[in-house]
Amino acid sequence: MKHGKDEKTTNLAFSDVISSRLGGETINLCYQCGTCASSCPVAKITPRFNPREIIKLTLSGEKDEVISGDAIWLCCSCYNCQERCPQKVEIADVIYALRNIAVKEGYIPNIFSEFASAILNDARVVKVSKFVETKRPTLGLPPLQPTGVNALRKILSATGFDKLQQKKEEAT
Amino acid sequence: MDQVKVGVFLSDCGKQLSEILDFNALTDYVKKVSGVVLVGRSSEFWRGKGLQFIVDAIKDGKINRVVVAESLPKLSEVNIVQAVENAGLNPYLVEVIDLKDHCAWPHRKTPSEATEKAKAMLLAAIERAKLLEPLEKLEFSVLKSALVIGGGIAGMQTAVDLADLGFEVHLVEKTPFLGGLATRASRFFPTDDCAICIESPVSDVKTITHTSRKCIYRSGFSEIPNMNILTNSKVVAVEGVPGNYKVTIEKKPRYVNELKCVRCDLCTAICPVKVPDEYNAKLKTRKAIYMNIPNVHPPVYVIDESVCKFHDCAKCVEVCPTDAIELDQKSEQITLNVGSIIVATGFREFDSSIIKEYHYDDYPDVMTNLELARMIDGFGPTGGVIIRPSDRKPAEKIVFVQCVGSRDRRYNPYCSSICCMISLKHATLIKSAYPDTDISICYIDIRTTGREHEDYYERAREMGIKFIKGRPTEISRDTETDRLIVDVEDALLRKILELDADLVVLAPAMVPAEDTKELAEILGLELGEDGFFKEYNAKLRPTETKLRGIYLCGGATFPKDAPTTSLHAHSAAIKAVKFLTTGKIVKDQRTAVINEEYCGDCEFCPVTCPYGAISLEPTTEEHFVAKISDLLCEGCGVCVGTCPLNAIELRHSRPKQMLAQMKALMSINGTSKPLVLAICCSECGHTAVDSSGMAMMQYPANVRVMKVPCTGILQVHQFLEAFKAGAQGVMVVGCKSDGCHYEVGSQKAENKVELTRILMKEYGIEPERLEMFNMVFIEGDKFAAAAQTMTERLEKLGPLPTMGGS
Repeated sequence: MKHGKDEKTTNLAFSDVISSRLGGETINLCYQCGTCASSCPVAKITPRFNPREIIKLTLSGEKDEVISGDAIWLCCSCYNCQERCPQKVEIADVIYALRNIAVKEGYIPNIFSEFASAILNDARVVKVSKFVETKRPTLGLPPLQPTGVNALRKILSATGFDKLQQKKEEAT
Repeated sequence: MDQVKVGVFLSDCGKQLSEILDFNALTDYVKKVSGVVLVGRSSEFWRGKGLQFIVDAIKDGKINRVVVAESLPKLSEVNIVQAVENAGLNPYLVEVIDLKDHCAWPHRKTPSEATEKAKAMLLAAIERAKLLEPLEKLEFSVLKSALVIGGGIAGMQTAVDLADLGFEVHLVEKTPFLGGLATRASRFFPTDDCAICIESPVSDVKTITHTSRKCIYRSGFSEIPNMNILTNSKVVAVEGVPGNYKVTIEKKPRYVNELKCVRCDLCTAICPVKVPDEYNAKLKTRKAIYMNIPNVHPPVYVIDESVCKFHDCAKCVEVCPTDAIELDQKSEQITLNVGSIIVATGFREFDSSIIKEYHYDDYPDVMTNLELARMIDGFGPTGGVIIRPSDRKPAEKIVFVQCVGSRDRRYNPYCSSICCMISLKHATLIKSAYPDTDISICYIDIRTTGREHEDYYERAREMGIKFIKGRPTEISRDTETDRLIVDVEDALLRKILELDADLVVLAPAMVPAEDTKELAEILGLELGEDGFFKEYNAKLRPTETKLRGIYLCGGATFPKDAPTTSLHAHSAAIKAVKFLTTGKIVKDQRTAVINEEYCGDCEFCPVTCPYGAISLEPTTEEHFVAKISDLLCEGCGVCVGTCPLNAIELRHSRPKQMLAQMKALMSINGTSKPLVLAICCSECGHTAVDSSGMAMMQYPANVRVMKVPCTGILQVHQFLEAFKAGAQGVMVVGCKSDGCHYEVGSQKAENKVELTRILMKEYGIEPERLEMFNMVFIEGDKFAAAAQTMTERLEKLGPLPTMGGS
């Protein structure tokens, strides 16, 4: 550990964890100008999400607040912030890095978890409901074909995705 | 040549050293060295009786080489060398070494080892002295005239200084009028007085007090004796060497005779051609024949040749009462011979239209600080009223946007340093004149670092100017109201704001003047990564360049406010005066010399020389040889280290002199440890060794120091020669690679060391026996530690296998 064992300094090293991850390399360059926040379509409509603040909390080592909160999941990945950032901080990518850590530590909002189950079970992002099944013929659409779910499961198992999802399901 | 007769003079520094070193043994040893005819001992040899003893020995013809072991050699050498010269011996036949800091003190715990090392050091000095050759001093003439490029306040101030001191000055300005950015800036912080005010020339007979300052137009600037002002002119070529530059200037036609024009305004009144006035932020129009503002210098109209109809119209010619208008004027080339050149080309605003989201090009109500300055100026296009350019109604709500293209890694990563103050100045000036104006400043950090600068920030807050900590992401326009909207987060409130505004003022980065790159090529100067001219040393020599005789001042090196520009201008002037004043450059011949017979015409050395001192010249048989200019050569030896054919040598550090030294240093060990040769550059490397000794840091006596001008001189074979001479390890000690006193030497040495290590592997020698160390003067501890590490490493490796063959 770079900063010794003291709890405060251990916390600070969270920014090092992020900056050493893919997408997080540029985080230390942030000087809090707020261009990202004013560029953000989500921040415009809800105070629950502010990219500048996420970066600041991460740099300040407030890991728990960042990881367990729902803010990082509100990013819509439009990359506006990243385009406009004068310090070339890859903000959207930093948020992905944070999401990855959050998932590893068992924090994932239900909606994302449901997506994950749908992918694992049916190889579809959206669950096929009765409504969809009955509506399709009336619109002249063919019935849904079976997906290559087994092949996909093999890939997901190789990447450890299934275990993450299992862990999450056990926790809830 | 006469027989070599060496006199060796051993100083024990007031018996301090004799407690550690056995001076009787040293004297006995030195006496037996061939070529030594006289050995002296005293408590000091660099002044008083000791120095007189040396002088007498020279005058009596007893000796013709001098070796002195003296403390603080870097100080004492100056005195000794001067005395030797006065006594009639060539001063380059003297070798001074330091037995205190390089031997006695760092090895005080092992006195017998120190004594043996001292013998080796003395032998090395004697062997080198025997091979030294007398060198001449060279004189080069310097013309007592200067060219100043750029007629802004930096260039004008420097030109006045030089002219007042009696030098002939040519001031070249690219545009038709003097004053540069200053005349557009209206007012300056921190005094809030007119920007076009300059220090009065002392030659003005009506200047009675030293506090006198005057507008450019009434300063009598053009009437200063020795001053030659060339407006509308550009430097197109520079040839020659420091002290003797031949400069070609292209002077564009003004079409108005400066000696005849009486600025009566009849011509502008009748001129039918109207164009937007760029100088005045396009807020008004001007004619094809025009002046920027009424109080410009020179007070003479100019015709804009890109729009004038010339003889198809010629109405101005008809009305001019003094026949001043000359439509047939042509461009002319002017050749000037000057001794020195001062670059004062300044800076300009970054082109804000590059940042598309600010819509500088699309919305007329988005303008820059320099454009706003024109509106604040009473002489300006609106007479001092702040308007919305789109409908010319008064601007009631103004938003400033800081750091436009500065502190931005996509455009200019640096802080332009003056833009915060410019915005604060503008905001407070507007608020004073129109207190009801609603003004906000969007900032990342407010930087007010100069004297009285913080006062502006304080005053602005008192006046009710709002500060929003946030960098706007976008400027848009409300299509219904035509007002501007600035999207910004107030980071302190954590609120996303949409500020509406009549006028948005951008504070763009300040970037180098337009033709900076071209001029740098013409002059042979380097630019920094930021595009500004690179100064020789930012800390010590901020107005100098690596070329003697060429100086920099003002915004040409970085954006500056007016007070700093003045300082810089005066500094450049004094540097130029120092160079010009004696009318000559005196240099010794410790320079590089080429053996034309060996030169292989490979072009390596001209490219490598950091000073452009080497050129390839044709010989009779379609063959080129390198020629070295003694004037430009700084004696670093980087070319020596580069030449693949060993065709270049430094006259004062020839390979045979170095080899003799090396062999002598390695001829006596006296310790049980493996011998290490530490080759140190004469700048930081050798001085770091001094400082370790001064601080009595201890390292083993098997480490022997050899001084070279710059580590860049070293060649691969010299490292191998060191091993052959008996070194078990070689340390190369140079300046930091980005702090080399000769720019590239340290880096070149590092490459050479790397290369040699590869070769060493081939020869079966462990590459870790050779290592480069970089340090600055104060890092004596680093040297001592490196010497210790190297010794321990070599002890582990065991002895070097004997090198056979040649």
